Amino acid sequence: MSTLTKVLIVLLTVFSIFLCGIVVTYVANATNQRERADGLQRQLRSAQASEQDALADLEQQKTEAEQLKADLNEQISQLKVAMSEVQAQLDQVKRDNALKEQEVANQTAAAQLANQTAAKQTELFESAHQNVEQLRGEQTKLSSRLAETDQLLMEKMSIIAQLQEKNRQLVESNQELESRINRVLQQYGRAAAPPQPVTRQRAVAEPATPKPITKDLGLTGKITVVDAKNRLAQISIGTAAGIKQDMKLHIIRGEQFVADIMILDADADKAVGILDLVQLQPKVGDTVTTNL
Amino acid sequence: MSPLPQSRGGKISPPSNLYTAVLAVAFGVVLATAAFVTFKCYTQYGTIFSLP
Repeated sequence: MSTLTKVLIVLLTVFSIFLCGIVVTYVANATNQRERADGLQRQLRSAQASEQDALADLEQQKTEAEQLKADLNEQISQLKVAMSEVQAQLDQVKRDNALKEQEVANQTAAAQLANQTAAKQTELFESAHQNVEQLRGEQTKLSSRLAETDQLLMEKMSIIAQLQEKNRQLVESNQELESRINRVLQQYGRAAAPPQPVTRQRAVAEPATPKPITKDLGLTGKITVVDAKNRLAQISIGTAAGIKQDMKLHIIRGEQFVADIMILDADADKAVGILDLVQLQPKVGDTVTTNL
Repeated sequence: MSPLPQSRGGKISPPSNLYTAVLAVAFGVVLATAAFVTFKCYTQYGTIFSLP
């Protein structure tokens, strides 16, 4: 065996031992890739499960978000409607406020005007009160003068009454004297002339006589007796009812005019008259009335 | 170990088993390493030659 062979054997042995040591060390310290792969696989599955859960959660969150969004949109729309209503109410309140302010201004102006009017009326009242006081003073003066005038008038009226009494006595004495003169002058076929007043009579203005106020008597009676030959008739009412002589009444039969009757004589409960303007022959029982 | 050089007339030396023992040690080391690697592969992956 050569030396080279020996050297090679030794070197082969040494390197074999060295290489085997390295291999054993490496294999002993090498990581178990299967366990690692299994771990990674489990991690992958758990990650995928987590992803699924996350996606489900995401979908649920999206759904909830959509629902929440819809709810919020509905609330927003409701709030918009409410806001529009509130805005409308605010506008209405603003308009009412403006109207109220206008009314307050008008009331203030009216109050000022009323105050001015009251002040003017107070002034007028004071002036009128002063005028009333003056008029009362004048009335007092006029009352005293009126009392004096009344007293003078009573005195004048008493004087006039005395003068009238004297005048009446003078007239009676004048008539007596005139009758005596006439008796004396009748023996001679004469009569005394009417006396002429010494003083001229003055025309005195007299008040116009008022027209007599007439009224309907409303007397109604019946024809009791008819004397067609002498055109006389008797009626059932007399002076007790207001019938007087020369009174003219109408005889009617229903709605028809018969004749007129002029009273010639009247008793207490009956009267007799002459017929006039005879249109129909009067009968007993026809109505007699003063007014048609 | 071969008898041929001796027949040529060279120096004759007695046969030695030292290097045979060294080779046996080297073989044993390699064999143990291979067994260890095989054991580790089988225990960790369940197979020796194929991929798990």
